[in-house]
Amino acid sequence: MAGWRKLNAALHRDLGYLCTALVMAYCLSGLALNHIDDWNPDFIITRVPVRLDRAYSPAEINDEVVAGFGALVGESRYKVYDAPTENQVKIYYDNATLHLRLADGEGVYERVSRRPIFYHSNILHRNSVAGWKWVSDVLAILLILINVTGLLILRGKYGISGRGKWLIAAGMVPPMVAILLHELG
Amino acid sequence: MYRTAQHIRLRSPGIVSMILIALGALGSGACRQDAQGSVEPLAGQKKIGVLLVNHGSRSSTWRESLLDLEKSVTERVRAGGLVKEVKTAFMEYTEPSIATRLKEFDAAGFTDVVIVPVFLTVSPHSFDDIPTIIGQKEDPRSLELLKVEKIERYTPRARAWITPLLDFTDVLQQNVLRRARALSTNPAEEGLVLIAYGDHTYSDQWSALLNRVGEYVKEQTGIAEHSHGWCGHVARYDPQVTTDAIERVLAKRQTALVVPVLVARDEMFQVKIIGDGIARISNHRERVRYKPDAILPDPNIEDWVTRIALEYAERAAKAVPGGNGAS
Repeated sequence: MAGWRKLNAALHRDLGYLCTALVMAYCLSGLALNHIDDWNPDFIITRVPVRLDRAYSPAEINDEVVAGFGALVGESRYKVYDAPTENQVKIYYDNATLHLRLADGEGVYERVSRRPIFYHSNILHRNSVAGWKWVSDVLAILLILINVTGLLILRGKYGISGRGKWLIAAGMVPPMVAILLHELG
Repeated sequence: MYRTAQHIRLRSPGIVSMILIALGALGSGACRQDAQGSVEPLAGQKKIGVLLVNHGSRSSTWRESLLDLEKSVTERVRAGGLVKEVKTAFMEYTEPSIATRLKEFDAAGFTDVVIVPVFLTVSPHSFDDIPTIIGQKEDPRSLELLKVEKIERYTPRARAWITPLLDFTDVLQQNVLRRARALSTNPAEEGLVLIAYGDHTYSDQWSALLNRVGEYVKEQTGIAEHSHGWCGHVARYDPQVTTDAIERVLAKRQTALVVPVLVARDEMFQVKIIGDGIARISNHRERVRYKPDAILPDPNIEDWVTRIALEYAERAAKAVPGGNGAS
C-alpha cells in the first residue's frame, strides 16, 4: 500500500472513532428535531385534567382557596398565583403549574421534565451551549475529511473508480429531485 | 394581578414608608455609587424608566418598527419629567434583550421600570415568559424554554411594573378598521379575513379578540362577513390555514379583504406564510385584496403606549419602594 493510502486509511479510522459520540448525538437529535411538529423533542409534558368541586367566581379566589386547590394535585405549597384572564387562575408550584378555568371548574395540572438523552443532544445540535457552534464547525470539517478519506481507501472495482462512482451518483439523486420539485412547485 | 405574600404585605405601606416617599420626592438627583460603580439613588427617591418589550424577530424590518415606536413615544413619555428614560428590548433572537436592558437600568440607578409588553393579547410569552425572565415568576415550562433558547433571566434591583396588553383597549379595533377601509370598495360584497399569530393555551381568548375586532369592523363598514386564521406556531406556520380562512369568506362573498393582525411586518409572516396562503386561492387576483402591512405604525398605539406607561409610572412614583410591581 502506498504511503499516502496508509495515512489516508489511518486518518479515516481515527477521525471516525473521534467523531463517533458526536455523530450519534447529532443523528439522534436530527431525528428528534425532524419531527418537531409531531412531538416535543426536548420535554415530556405531563398534563393531568383536574376538576374542582364546583365553579368559582374571581372574587372567591384568595390565598386560602388557592392553597386548598393544591390538595387536588398533591401540592402542599404554592409559590405564586396569577390570573391570565378574568375567569382563569394559574398557580405555580415547584416544577409544576395548575391552570384553572373558574367558570366551569375545569383545569390542567402540568409537569415538565427533560426528555432523557434527546434534551441534551438537542441543546448541542441547536448550539444552545455558548461557543458550541465552533465545535460544530470543527465536527463538520472532520466529517468532510472522514468522507473524502473514505472515498480513497479502496482501489479497483470496489473503489471510487468502480462501483463507488455509481453509488455517489445514486446518492445525488434524492437531493436533486427534491430541489427540482421545489423549483417547479 | 400578582398575589404573592410579599405583594400583599406591600399593599399596606406603613407611615414611615410614606414619609420616606414624600421626602424622596423633594430630593433632586442625589445618588450614591456602589463598589461595582452602579449608581443608586438615595433611599426614597424614585428614578423611573420605561421598557417597551416585544417578542423579537429575525426580521430587521420587524425590529425597526418596534424601534420606531420607541422613537415616536420617547419625547411624550419623558415630557413630564416623571420618566427619565425609554428603552426597547427584544424577548427573543436579538439584542438588546430584556436582561440587557434591565441591567442598564440598574446600572443607571433606576428604582422602578415600567415594562410595556407590546403584545396583542394574553399568551405564555406575556403571561409567563416575561415575568419569569425578570424573576417575578418561575414557570417551569418557561424556565426550560428560556434555557433552550438562550434567553437570559435577570431579576432587576429596580422594581418592575408590568402594564396590561394591547387588547386592554379598543385600539386594535380602530387599527383594523382603518386598514380594512383602505382595502374596501364594496362592503356588501366583501368579507374580512383576519390573520394573527395565535396561541395554543389561550386559543379562546385569541378567537374572542379577533371575533370582537371582526364584529366591530362589520358594524362600522357594512362588510358582510368575517373569519380568522392563525399563521404562527399553533398553525405550524402553514399557509393553508390562511387559505382556509379566506375560502370560508369567499364561500359567502365575492371578495376577501385580508388583514394581518401582527404587531409589525415580518417577511416570513406577511409575505411568505400569508402571501403563499393567498396564492393558493385559484382566482386570488380578482377575489382577494391584501396589503402585507402590520398594526404598526399607528398613532393610536403610540398614544396607548404613552398613556399606559405614564399611568404605571405614576403608580410607581406613589408606591412604597421595594416589592413586585403589580399589573
